[in-house]
Amino acid sequence: MSALDRLPSGDGDRALIAGTLCLLVGGLFAVTPLQAQLPGALYVFVEVGITFVIFGMLVLGLDLQYGHTGLVNFGHVVFFAVGAYATAMLAAQDSFAGISLGYPWPLALLVGVVAAALLGLVVSATSIRLRDDFLAIVTLATAEIFHSVFVNFEGIFGGNVGILGVPRPIAAVAGDTDTRMIATILVIGGLTLITLAAVTRLTEAPYGRVLRAIRADELVTRSVGKSTIVYKTQAFVYGAALAGLAGGVFALYNGAVAPGFFTIQVTVTIWIGMLLGGAANHRAVLAGLAVIMGLRLVSRFGLSVTPVSGDVFAAFRLVVVGLILVAVIRFRPAGIWGDPQELGVDR
Amino acid sequence: MGLAQNIVFGIVTGSYIAIAAIGFTLIYGIVNMINFAYGEYLTLGAFVGFLSASAVPLPLPIAVVVAMIGGGIISIVLARGFFTPINDTGPVPMLLTSIGLGIAIRNAIRLVGGRGARYIETETTTFRFDGVPDVAIGSVDLLGGFFVTSEHLVVFGSAVAVFLSIHALLTRTDVGIAMRAMGDDESLARVRGIDTQLIRDSVWVLAGVLAGLAGVLMAIQTNVSSTTGFSHILQILSAAILGGAGSPYGAIIGAYVIGLALALSTAFLPSSMTGLSSAVAFAILIAVLLVKPSGIAGTEVREA
Repeated sequence: MSALDRLPSGDGDRALIAGTLCLLVGGLFAVTPLQAQLPGALYVFVEVGITFVIFGMLVLGLDLQYGHTGLVNFGHVVFFAVGAYATAMLAAQDSFAGISLGYPWPLALLVGVVAAALLGLVVSATSIRLRDDFLAIVTLATAEIFHSVFVNFEGIFGGNVGILGVPRPIAAVAGDTDTRMIATILVIGGLTLITLAAVTRLTEAPYGRVLRAIRADELVTRSVGKSTIVYKTQAFVYGAALAGLAGGVFALYNGAVAPGFFTIQVTVTIWIGMLLGGAANHRAVLAGLAVIMGLRLVSRFGLSVTPVSGDVFAAFRLVVVGLILVAVIRFRPAGIWGDPQELGVDR
Repeated sequence: MGLAQNIVFGIVTGSYIAIAAIGFTLIYGIVNMINFAYGEYLTLGAFVGFLSASAVPLPLPIAVVVAMIGGGIISIVLARGFFTPINDTGPVPMLLTSIGLGIAIRNAIRLVGGRGARYIETETTTFRFDGVPDVAIGSVDLLGGFFVTSEHLVVFGSAVAVFLSIHALLTRTDVGIAMRAMGDDESLARVRGIDTQLIRDSVWVLAGVLAGLAGVLMAIQTNVSSTTGFSHILQILSAAILGGAGSPYGAIIGAYVIGLALALSTAFLPSSMTGLSSAVAFAILIAVLLVKPSGIAGTEVREA
């Protein structure tokens, strides 16, 4: 029996191994004097790539909620923001504005995840029984409320400036900029892959089958003795906790949080990525997100070769993004790689 | 500034939100979708009004009528192009489509018109009521002098005119009665020989006309920019749901509740937190959905 045969074959296990490898290599770059060289032209790719892997955790959580369970959460950014703010406020030292407590960052990250999960629990306890489109409105309104709270309570959340002075664990140990960027994308990418492994495990298990059954027909699922409300709440809280993790990681990578990072635009981006790729398929939603975030690269490069202003270009990109969403729903409701039959959009 | 002044502001805000919320709630009740792009209809209406008042230039009342007609045409064209083809897919795909369409339109306007705000020139008369005594409780003045401008009166007057004509339309005309029938039960309406697609189209036109009017009133009150409508969509939505989604009369009440809540929270919140007033509107919305999801006069929106 060769070593190859003993390698696990499932998607989840492969993602777990790849993720662990990424984490180890990334950690190696960060803590040892090992150095990486990054050609200047690739900077922008790595930068967008880091945002992509962070958003990847968001889209995996959202897909657990919408793709698998059918919960229309249109305020996903609020859990991202709460995770980021909780982590930042606990870990930051001498922030210019707002609360900074200076606790060790692993503790802060943990609190960030728990805070987001708790908010998810509160939202689902109150609103999970609402009809789909009204759940969308409540979650959206929740996100808007938190956004204005973050902006307006300057003494606590730092207002428009946000929380500065958040420790950056990777930047603290990495030698130079190139090494730091490589280590960051590897470590966070590793976390995203491990997340992928975890959600794959979850949805391939009988548990995931119950979630998909709820999406397909809640009444039937209840009639076979499954407490659908409990399952829906759990799926919602898992998704919120993942968003909180993404938020905490974002705060520790970025070194600062501010309301400007957590606008409705984040929610829209991950929703479009998920629908474009094909909801209820973990790898498809990541691929869809990659396509949408790839557009950012295109517009960055396009910006340098065309004589128009950045504002015009951003507006143009958003027109395209909006029309993509419309076109996907109209012509390919299951997304590019989704399964129309499973999603119940067979037409 | 006294409470009386804030109530005036609240009623004015409530008036244009009410006009828009009626259109929004009619679409919800009859097409069965939450139209998140509705704010953009307001923006487009406001721009049509602005262009015809300043570029052509037409007298303001005619510009308002042009904006209303423009709003109606825009609404039916967009509905035919984007919403009618997916009418049978259910509320969530329709909501998502409207979100995508809203992003596209908003940024297309930004692309053409830039970010800047534009103002419609109007002649304003201000009526002051300074003789009213102050009734101070703590830092809050419960009465106080206030003023009303002719713009305020125009906005409020248009709103009342809209309420009366909508009431007449829904109770006195065949189209209006058919709309109400469809809102109650679409299949039954069809069995009775109502051309449901025609009624749906007339609702789109009506909602567009109302959006055009609300947009141009906002433009007269404040200014026109690419985010004019979007910045109000959540308030419109809150008003419609507060009133009971699908009910035009509920939407009117809901709109004034939201308008007054916004104005009063500006009055009572400390000055550093006036930005929270929009959060107050959403908090009301969430509270309504939790306590009485059917709103003041509407249907059940809970599943289980």
